[in-house]
Amino acid sequence: MLKEDSESANGNKWVELNMGPQHPSMHGVLRLRVKLDGEIVKECEPIIGYLHRNAEKLCELDYYCDATVYFDRMDYVGAMNMEVGYLEAAEKLLDIPPPERAQWIRLIMAELNRIAAHLVWTGAFGLDLGMLTPFFYCFAEREKIQRIFVDISGSRQQLNYMSIGGVYQDINDKIIYDIEQFIDQFPKKLEDINKTFIKNDIFISRNKGMGILEPEVALDYGVTGPMLRASGIDYDIRKKEPYLMYDKVNFDVPVSYKKDNLARYLVRIEEMRQSIKILKQAIKKIPDGPYFNPKAKKPLMIRLRGDGDVYARTESSKGEFGVYLVGDGGVKPYRVRVRSPTFKNLSVAPVLVKDQMIADLIAILGTFDLVFGEIDR
Amino acid sequence: MNILLRLALFFAGAGHYGSYFLAYIFETIFFMIFVAVVLIFTIYLFRKYMARLQLRYGPNRVGKFGSLQLIADALKLMGKESILPSGRDDFAFRVAPLIVFIGLFVGFAIIPYGSFYWIGSLTITHSNVSLLLIFGALAIMPIGEIVAGASSKNKYAVLGALRGVAKDISFEIPMMLSVIALVMMASARTANGLNLEDLTSVQFIPYGIPEVIGLFVFFIAMIARAAYSPFDLGESDSELVSGYSTEYSGMRFGMFYMGLFGSIFLGSMLVSVLYLGGYNGPFSSYAGFIYLLIKTLILVLVAFLVWLSIPRIRIDRFVNMGWKYLLPIAVINLIISGVLTLGLGI
Amino acid sequence: MVEVIEESIGKDGRKVIKVAKEYLIAIMKDLKSQGYDHLSLITGIDRKDKLEVVYHLHNMKEDKYLVIKTETLDERVPSLTSLYSSANWDEREQYDLMGIVFEGHPNLKRLFLPESWVGHPLRKNYDLSKVQYINMDENGDDYATFDPGDGW
Repeated sequence: MLKEDSESANGNKWVELNMGPQHPSMHGVLRLRVKLDGEIVKECEPIIGYLHRNAEKLCELDYYCDATVYFDRMDYVGAMNMEVGYLEAAEKLLDIPPPERAQWIRLIMAELNRIAAHLVWTGAFGLDLGMLTPFFYCFAEREKIQRIFVDISGSRQQLNYMSIGGVYQDINDKIIYDIEQFIDQFPKKLEDINKTFIKNDIFISRNKGMGILEPEVALDYGVTGPMLRASGIDYDIRKKEPYLMYDKVNFDVPVSYKKDNLARYLVRIEEMRQSIKILKQAIKKIPDGPYFNPKAKKPLMIRLRGDGDVYARTESSKGEFGVYLVGDGGVKPYRVRVRSPTFKNLSVAPVLVKDQMIADLIAILGTFDLVFGEIDR
Repeated sequence: MNILLRLALFFAGAGHYGSYFLAYIFETIFFMIFVAVVLIFTIYLFRKYMARLQLRYGPNRVGKFGSLQLIADALKLMGKESILPSGRDDFAFRVAPLIVFIGLFVGFAIIPYGSFYWIGSLTITHSNVSLLLIFGALAIMPIGEIVAGASSKNKYAVLGALRGVAKDISFEIPMMLSVIALVMMASARTANGLNLEDLTSVQFIPYGIPEVIGLFVFFIAMIARAAYSPFDLGESDSELVSGYSTEYSGMRFGMFYMGLFGSIFLGSMLVSVLYLGGYNGPFSSYAGFIYLLIKTLILVLVAFLVWLSIPRIRIDRFVNMGWKYLLPIAVINLIISGVLTLGLGI
Repeated sequence: MVEVIEESIGKDGRKVIKVAKEYLIAIMKDLKSQGYDHLSLITGIDRKDKLEVVYHLHNMKEDKYLVIKTETLDERVPSLTSLYSSANWDEREQYDLMGIVFEGHPNLKRLFLPESWVGHPLRKNYDLSKVQYINMDENGDDYATFDPGDGW
């Protein structure tokens, strides 16, 4: 029946199991080649590339201003953060600083999208553990953010809202009112969602002490973002190397020293609270003025030329999202290199899941917040 | 009076043997319709209830309030191709869903349904050992699941079946121990504690009140038997894709699906018969069946609430729970029941 | 003695150090002992006549950033997997897409594309007009062919 079994060192039979790329809890198209001793995972090798589109090459073939659409399709649950990441690099390279109002709008959108991305993660994590219901609570909240995005950009996920020199269109009073409404009611809903998880003994027992990620290992493998902060390293690019207007708002960086699944869950929940805090300040601070740098107006856009190389880091909802942009003086980028946070985070998976049960493998991978558009690019 | 005699009277013109022959046939037909209605209703209730909990509408397009959705789904499942994987154990693969379904039907046939209006007792099986029979019937269904897992030639299915075995072994003993306590209590009042009808009739108060611990253990065991979240270890869709039913499609999958909901309803019915007094209640000679249904429905809704709100427990934790907690609790319950029966004479 | 070819400040304000690839391992070891514990990114750039490899190093504690650049004419660069585990996948990716061979890498296989893929897509001379089709073999592994096959 199990022909492809392999023998372990002490003669026990290991079952070789191919999980994915079509598997209900692989968050897209992750494929794991797992060797099982009964229910215990002995070896785990992630195989990726099933969503590979080579966005880096596609960006090289297009003008600077066209690349945002490829970045939308990287982390498709956090498209605004991807756009911010690219534009940080592109605007430095092309030397077109966006006006202040555009920066505030970008900050608001990035934070809204961070909340949306974390909500998707929270719901999907519940599904991984077999909780059906919180998923819908999370998505009901996310839907409100998506409505705002539809209003400002016209689409739900592939937003393409920001462009070099500013944003595609100004926000009006209705959108500000919508955002204020969302900010007002969200904290209570978040507590409700949090309660369905945290007051559940089985949830706690499945996550407490599971998937311990030591900080040294995390740094060695290049883990960033909430996973790193849950391992006890206080590092947030929004604080340490502020971009947009993050130095003008007041917020805390949640850090946990417990290093386990539960810590990663709590860090992400707390990040949502902090995002609300940022939004509350930002919505009051938007100055009047132009929302677009006239140097990058529509017909001139494709004639922008850049030279040299620039590396810009931003804190996306998954971790450090870096864009390394090399120009050769032409109208198209010479080389675009993306530092994808989940790509690095996933590479630590074989270390974490070794000698865990197969049920814990799913739970641990669930805390990684994998989005395959970004890993495979 | 019971339903068989009523039917025989109705067909009295066909002679003694003829009338009983027709009565048995029609009784079987009515029973099958009843089970089918129960299955469809349970699934519909689940989907509506789940939708309500999850801020959704649920089925609302086919028929009024989506009431015909389940029939549409059943027709769709029947029309679908039932894919047979290559490398399967052919006979076992085909027969496994049938085993589950047969176990379900046999289980439903043994429940004491109580009386309804002028028809009288609706109970089908009048056996002196119906308690043993129903546990025999309940033990048929996991066999089907194990056969399905082993014959599919799929590693997820095998893992699901293995988990199913581990799960079944760890909760069956506490379940039987808590039932033994019940029989012991009942035998103080009736000579035949193994007869489900007698066991129900002697419950002057629902046995769930003196036997709270037993009810607790038995209800957990019934959740585990029906294998839904938090104990859906054999299926566990996020880990093992769909466990033993991974390779099944079409109506064969539909049978497993109905088996799941059927066993939720059957388990709730059994709990209400054993611990909540079954068809007992005021005017039970007219409305006993209704009481049973109401008690069952309440338990079904509780079961759905558990299903929808609690994450899956890990297999080793579940086995631990079965042996380290449920078993000692069941033994303690047995001792308490003995004290109650002999010492206090309840 | 580590020989630094050039030291400058990049357009984004980060310190850039150019080294010859022979001294790469030595300077990386030195930097790691100075606290640069986080190898953030490895980038290969096709400069047509040569390949440039850029390493972004990060000191988490003191929050210092450093860019190391090196060049190779024969597509070969020493691997950093013995120093940083995160180099493992990054180097595989650059080997896959850029065709840089990292000497000493324990498992230098393609990461995204199937093993039988022809060419390295991020090279400037990669022929985009040639379509390669991906198919699945008996074991569930992918392979690439120029033959479209039966309709896939």
